[in-house]
Amino acid sequence: MSRRTQILLAVVAIGAFAAVALKVGLVILNSEYRSPVRTQAAAGAPGATETDIETPRDLALKTLAEDREARDKARPYQEVEYRQAPVFPSRVVVWVLAQLHLLFAAFVLAVPMFAFIIEAVGYVTKDPKYDKLAHEFTKLMSVAFSMTATFGAFLTFALIALYPKFTTYLMHVFSPTFLPYVLLFFFEAGFFYTYYYGWGKFHPIVHLSLGVGLNVVGTLIMFIANGWLTFMMSPAGVSDSGAVINAWEALMNYTWMPINIHRVIANVAYGGSVAAAYAAWKFLGAKSDEERAHYDWMGYIGMFVAVSAFLPLPFAGYYLAREIYAFNQALGIMMMGGAFSWLFIIQAVLIGNLFLAANLYLWLGMGRIEGAGQFQKMIKWLLIAIAVCFAVWATPRSIISTSSEVRGMGGSTHPVLGALGFMAAKNTAVNILILTTYVSFLLYRRTGKRATVSWARAGNAAQFALFGLSAAAVIFLGVISYFVDAATRIRLSVPQVLAVLVAMVGMTIIDIFMMRGAERTGKMHWGRLPALSQYVLVFIAITFTWLMGLMGYVRSGLRQHWHVYGIVRDNSPDAFTPTLGYATQIVSVTVLIFFVLIAFVFWVAGLAHKADWAPRAGGERDAGLMRAGS
Amino acid sequence: MKIPAGLNITVLVVASCAFYTYVGQLVPQKEVLPPAEVKISKDITTDEMVKIGHEIAQGKGLCLTCHTIGKSGTLRFPDLSGIGSRAATRVPGQDAIDYLAHSLYEPDSYIVPGFNPGMPKIARPPIGLNDQEILCVIAWLQSLGGEPNVTLQTRHMHSPAEGATP
Repeated sequence: MSRRTQILLAVVAIGAFAAVALKVGLVILNSEYRSPVRTQAAAGAPGATETDIETPRDLALKTLAEDREARDKARPYQEVEYRQAPVFPSRVVVWVLAQLHLLFAAFVLAVPMFAFIIEAVGYVTKDPKYDKLAHEFTKLMSVAFSMTATFGAFLTFALIALYPKFTTYLMHVFSPTFLPYVLLFFFEAGFFYTYYYGWGKFHPIVHLSLGVGLNVVGTLIMFIANGWLTFMMSPAGVSDSGAVINAWEALMNYTWMPINIHRVIANVAYGGSVAAAYAAWKFLGAKSDEERAHYDWMGYIGMFVAVSAFLPLPFAGYYLAREIYAFNQALGIMMMGGAFSWLFIIQAVLIGNLFLAANLYLWLGMGRIEGAGQFQKMIKWLLIAIAVCFAVWATPRSIISTSSEVRGMGGSTHPVLGALGFMAAKNTAVNILILTTYVSFLLYRRTGKRATVSWARAGNAAQFALFGLSAAAVIFLGVISYFVDAATRIRLSVPQVLAVLVAMVGMTIIDIFMMRGAERTGKMHWGRLPALSQYVLVFIAITFTWLMGLMGYVRSGLRQHWHVYGIVRDNSPDAFTPTLGYATQIVSVTVLIFFVLIAFVFWVAGLAHKADWAPRAGGERDAGLMRAGS
Repeated sequence: MKIPAGLNITVLVVASCAFYTYVGQLVPQKEVLPPAEVKISKDITTDEMVKIGHEIAQGKGLCLTCHTIGKSGTLRFPDLSGIGSRAATRVPGQDAIDYLAHSLYEPDSYIVPGFNPGMPKIARPPIGLNDQEILCVIAWLQSLGGEPNVTLQTRHMHSPAEGATP
């Protein structure tokens, strides 16, 4: 018997089996008990068949259905407070969606900022490579823009579906902001698409103006959304029971401006790191030296943007934390000394890694410049400084220890290292980290160049003095913080920050004037860089994304069992604050989803560089099929 | 064999996330539940009020989030040890109960020198203790170096007017 006959017979056999099974099923269904009296009565009725006869079961089911219908019709409308999401807890669903929306939004807001600056640099310097680079950065935005809007809509629907009562309350407070928000979003789309598709089609000034419009509108959108979320943490403009007194006060609440400032800076740092990761991905897949050189340069610019914004970020974070304390001490203490205090040890690991990786990239980058040897000798000292600061920052006040260890230490705090757990030590460590990273950048900037101005020696001495004085001031203020009262100690952190800022600004100004017309002692070889440097860029983007996820959690989780702190209580089953271990798992899942999606964005952006599709040699049949299909 | 860059990047993303998740498991794992409501019966004794006051201070009242008992050195907020005996001597003409009550209802009125203002009003949200709970906290504070004498019937400068709905 042939194989074809066997298949045919199998199909016939299966069909026959199915028909028999169906018939048996129908026979069983129709063989329900029927009273002989009813059967006789029905048989007398004109046109009646056996299936029209109502059995006792049929009657009972009918009565039940009528009762249910009557109950449904009489049921009064009741507002639902919470609904449960399928499979996952509602809070996790909203958490992941909000974080993904925020990650894409941050990227979409950041890219136009530095694209605009790079384009402006290109216009001023008349160097077309800047214009090309700015355009390439903007290409990443197109798909990311749609992703942002999609996750924004997804988040809104999830909130309405899962937290209807709370969402209704927020709508009640912020309804006056909705129309401006939608209009701004509309304008953002208009500016963005004109900016993107109009590249090279307008006079540069007109195009740059579109960039300004895009950035202004994008920032305003973020400011409105920040008003909604900061209201949940530091409500204002409402009565104790939540009645709206002043919607503008609710929007511009206590932590609104600190979050605005923090987010603008963080978005730029984060956007720069993701754009640098894109360049790294393209660098690693580059086929020619020219391509490698281009993507090395692009990665460097992305990284430069990220580090430039990253250096002032801890100051903005400090300002935000200070305002949280000022709004409510209990909230501040909860953040830094209560349930969330250990989160900042995880944050220290992340930020320490960011500083280490950023410095490593700069040190590896020196390899692309001839004559970097003299500066590379200093790397080990910088590395030691960074490692010490990292260790201080990551030292907790109290440690998890066994009973014998507790006896040995005389408490849960280590007699020596415990002193490093105080905020004074952390502030000192982070300020020195910032200063060290800045010095790394300065060394990189000066590699392969020699100042030719007559006062170069004095300039170097002044820079060195600024660095030394600033470091000494930071350490001195950190040490005396241990011996003064609480009120003075808190105030001392401000001159610490100022000492670092003044030193960085001063050293930059000196450097700009000193290196004007500097002699090139070594040639720059873009693209001549080990592959490791590119993986460092990707690692920085991962760490930044993870850090944003973690800090998003603490900002939101700080409210604990409140939707709106002190006003609207969270009565849902998820009102508890989960363990940090659980929170980090959710953050990791979110980051992994984000990287899958951003890989898609990168892939789509990369399609623009691919050659147009054409039928392969000898592929006329495929082409013919396509024509027939079209 | 050359490993594709895409695979390396995927491994790097997964490994970095796994590492940070691992770091997250190394720190103490504490789940914080919403504060439980405290039931206070009308015929409660002062000793029972001290116990309930201590529970409130640790939980719903958030007192011990900021304040310490028996610590010295670089403190962010005043240490509470001995407050039971000190309270009556802080403001001339004001007894311990009135002083403690006023410190809880209007905390910015009395700032210990060397410390910053910032304690929230305990009777207002988000802490929002009721009058009876605050009396229990006063009893507990009195017990820290003093002899508690407050009862649920004790009246002080912030007690609601007679006959007012609590």
